[in-house]
Amino acid sequence: METRETFAGLSTWQIALWYTLIVISTSIFAWGVIRLVIKYRRGRGSFPVDRPLHRAGRTAWIVFTHAWIKRRDGVAGLAHAMIFYGFVVLFIGTGILAFQDDFARPILGWDFWQGPFYLVYSLFLDVFGAFLIIGLVILGVKRARKPKRLDYTRVDGVTSRYARWRYKVGDWVFVDSLLFLGVTGFFLEALRIAETDPPFEKWSPVGWVVGQGLIAIGVDGETASAAHFRSWWVHGVAALTFVAAIPFTKAVHMMAAPASVATRNDRASKELVGLPPNAKPEEVGYGVVTDMTPAHLLQLDACTKCGKCHEACPATASGYPLSPRDLVLDLREQSEGALGIRGWLTVPPLFHSDENLLGNPIRPETVWSCMQCMACVEICPVGIEHVPIINNLRRRLVDKGEMDSQLQTTLETIYESGNSFGEPKRKRGRWAKELDFEVKDARKEPVDVLWFVGDFASLDPRNIRVTQALARILHHAGVDFGILYEGERNAGNDVRRVGEEGLFTDLAESNIEAISACEFSRILTSDPHSFNTLKNEYPALGGSWDVVHHSQFLLELFQSGALTAGRSLGRRVTYHDPCTLGRYNGVYDEPRALIAATGCELIEMQRVRDNSFCCGAGGGRIWMSELKAPDAPRPSESRMHEATALDRVSTFVVCCPKDVTMYEDAVKTSGHEGEIEVRELTELVLESLDFEPVALAATAD
Amino acid sequence: MKTVVCIKQVLQLGDEVEFTDDGLDVDPDYLDPALNEWDSFATEEALQLRERLGGEVVLVTCGSKASEAALRRCLAMGADRAIRIEGVDRDPFSVARALAEVVSAENADLVLCGVQSSDAVQAATGTALAELLDLPRAAVVTKVDYDAGARTAVVDRELEGGLVDRVEIDTPAVLTIQTGINEPRYANLRAIKQAEQVEIDVRNAAGGGAPAYRVRKMFVPDRGEGAEMIDGSPAEIAARIASIVKERLV
Repeated sequence: METRETFAGLSTWQIALWYTLIVISTSIFAWGVIRLVIKYRRGRGSFPVDRPLHRAGRTAWIVFTHAWIKRRDGVAGLAHAMIFYGFVVLFIGTGILAFQDDFARPILGWDFWQGPFYLVYSLFLDVFGAFLIIGLVILGVKRARKPKRLDYTRVDGVTSRYARWRYKVGDWVFVDSLLFLGVTGFFLEALRIAETDPPFEKWSPVGWVVGQGLIAIGVDGETASAAHFRSWWVHGVAALTFVAAIPFTKAVHMMAAPASVATRNDRASKELVGLPPNAKPEEVGYGVVTDMTPAHLLQLDACTKCGKCHEACPATASGYPLSPRDLVLDLREQSEGALGIRGWLTVPPLFHSDENLLGNPIRPETVWSCMQCMACVEICPVGIEHVPIINNLRRRLVDKGEMDSQLQTTLETIYESGNSFGEPKRKRGRWAKELDFEVKDARKEPVDVLWFVGDFASLDPRNIRVTQALARILHHAGVDFGILYEGERNAGNDVRRVGEEGLFTDLAESNIEAISACEFSRILTSDPHSFNTLKNEYPALGGSWDVVHHSQFLLELFQSGALTAGRSLGRRVTYHDPCTLGRYNGVYDEPRALIAATGCELIEMQRVRDNSFCCGAGGGRIWMSELKAPDAPRPSESRMHEATALDRVSTFVVCCPKDVTMYEDAVKTSGHEGEIEVRELTELVLESLDFEPVALAATAD
Repeated sequence: MKTVVCIKQVLQLGDEVEFTDDGLDVDPDYLDPALNEWDSFATEEALQLRERLGGEVVLVTCGSKASEAALRRCLAMGADRAIRIEGVDRDPFSVARALAEVVSAENADLVLCGVQSSDAVQAATGTALAELLDLPRAAVVTKVDYDAGARTAVVDRELEGGLVDRVEIDTPAVLTIQTGINEPRYANLRAIKQAEQVEIDVRNAAGGGAPAYRVRKMFVPDRGEGAEMIDGSPAEIAARIASIVKERLV
């Protein structure tokens, strides 16, 4: 019968030694895992356990399909899948063998590891073992080519307490130790085959081919047997060492990454988590490492330094002192140095659990550089929530009043006047007075559509033109709509992203009160930032409505026949996905369909949809002084270079008021004046409609 | 070290304005309330003195219940307690009299006011308060160096043309604080909300004493004629001015 002896050539005491080593290795592994769990439990709060089936299903899907890992780097995804499935199959194979040797045979007297089962088992393990090695070689070659995103040089010029070269060593040790295990495994198999050359071992094709090679050079019989004995111990001890090292090395991601995916918040970034009621200062955001939630602490360990966030981040790309990867590594070093094994063994660099998270090496400027654009969160293959983590760091700074003076003034202005421009309340609805029809006051009469206009669209002269264009279109299409006039305040989306949670709540509550007093069927917003917070964050505060962005609403009007394009514009245009509309809310197709409806030809930029590149205004950055390197282009300028490099594109289409401002400015400052013009989607639609809007009496600008 | 800070909730005007029917005031619909800018600097200065020397920061304001918003903001910055005096006329003398009554009972080591309020722009209340309390005063202060042992303070006063007047003043004293003396800390909304739980000591003004003035009429002045620019040599300009003066005198 086809099979083999598991412990061929080992004496009883050697087998006993082997099992002792297994116990030692497993104990070290278990101790390491327990230390990690203890570390995470030092965080504030507990792991989320809601909807366990959904979480388990999602995790299984993401892990087994590699849905997140393969994004934007298919080769790495495929190679990782080969390693992953190679490892999984070899692990299961070892499990089957252990079950046979330590349970089925001695206790049940059942020998199943023979005959056809043995042959198929051998084939499976051989093929997947080969996958493991091929995958490792591919990733090793990619790494050896030194891609920019795997260069761990800090972007902020600060010296880490934990030297970054150690990460490179760790990466190579990880790849090479797996490779060593794979290669010695095959070598071992080949020596075993070479010893007696059983014909059925053709079912282990890789081992058989190598075995034949060994026989050909005279390594067979006793020679092969002796070499097999030595190799067996080398491979075995290496494997047990690897197992013991998992919780302490890069290999920890094999456990931490699925756990991170399982415990992460599905709505991370687009709905930030509020403060506990009557929060004390030490409960506001993150000041020390134990303020972090267990899930966030776990996420830090899940990071594999793949650099996808680093590559996607507009702040990193524009010379700001922030890289999401650097931040995660810094925080990981702090949590490990304060709460983890490093702290326990007092191995420097140590951190103290009551040490401020900000100061050395993470500077406040790093935290303020973030645009909260969600590019990092969206691409992270292990589910790290950089945006909420940064937001929590900001919350503590805001609570202590440690912020840019310009930002402080803006927040005070918003608190006092309800808008970031410091304009009197009455001015909010003034744009409507300049129209040749009346815009209903939704506070005084029922409307079908309650239009929440937003600060920029209400008060910025350039954006008022867009707002008036939208009002004309709605009027033309016969939509029954109204606005809140001075009853509307800043929606609070960016105030919340800045970290001023109290002011956000104040704004949201007063808007919810104003909106709730009106009679309407749905809410229209002309600002993606307001759209996000009304749609995703107001429900938790008691305001749940059907909220649509104007790109969605206008498309509906086209589809229902309320609007028909009278003329085909025939422009070649490109379109910029606003972060809060696209990545935050998945609205990618409606604006594109609208562009098509106006008869424009859409030429896409390189960074589109989920990979869209932030204009630089998000996360309250528009209210702060500049932090980028002086010689680096602003995010909006780099976007302009990207758009103007397209072939004969005349128009840069946006559908966010902040984008209008940012990009009109960037056209001039990036030296592309005259090459391209910025148009709000609404303006494009108005231009395409078959009606002549009456000239405005006194438009701004 | 006890510091009393007198603050005011001002009413800010937009670029649109309507008056009440009696023509004596601006229609409240056209006004947005806010903490007077100078007073946030005065409060910050008091808080910094407390941080250095310990003690207490007490806020006092004159105004209706609505003006408590300004007190709450200063409480959120870190002041210890607040007093609001009701039923006070708006002119500086009436305000100073009401304040004097409350402030004198506090026996403060230092009394801080803003230089002026941004809506009335009289710059009179602080000085009048000092007079009523019979305390030394320094106006337009840009630096305070307080010596608790000697009970004196060396203060810088901002003069015209960028000059600084450094004076030593016996304390207790009344100082009117200029903007820019410090960087007022941010009163976050969490702290403001928590300050809503703080009970504000509400007093009624004793009354008595005539107001400094009465408003007869509030209006937007008629737009004047454009100015005439006179070119030429000094002699020609002088001749032209002389002829204008003659013309107008007739």
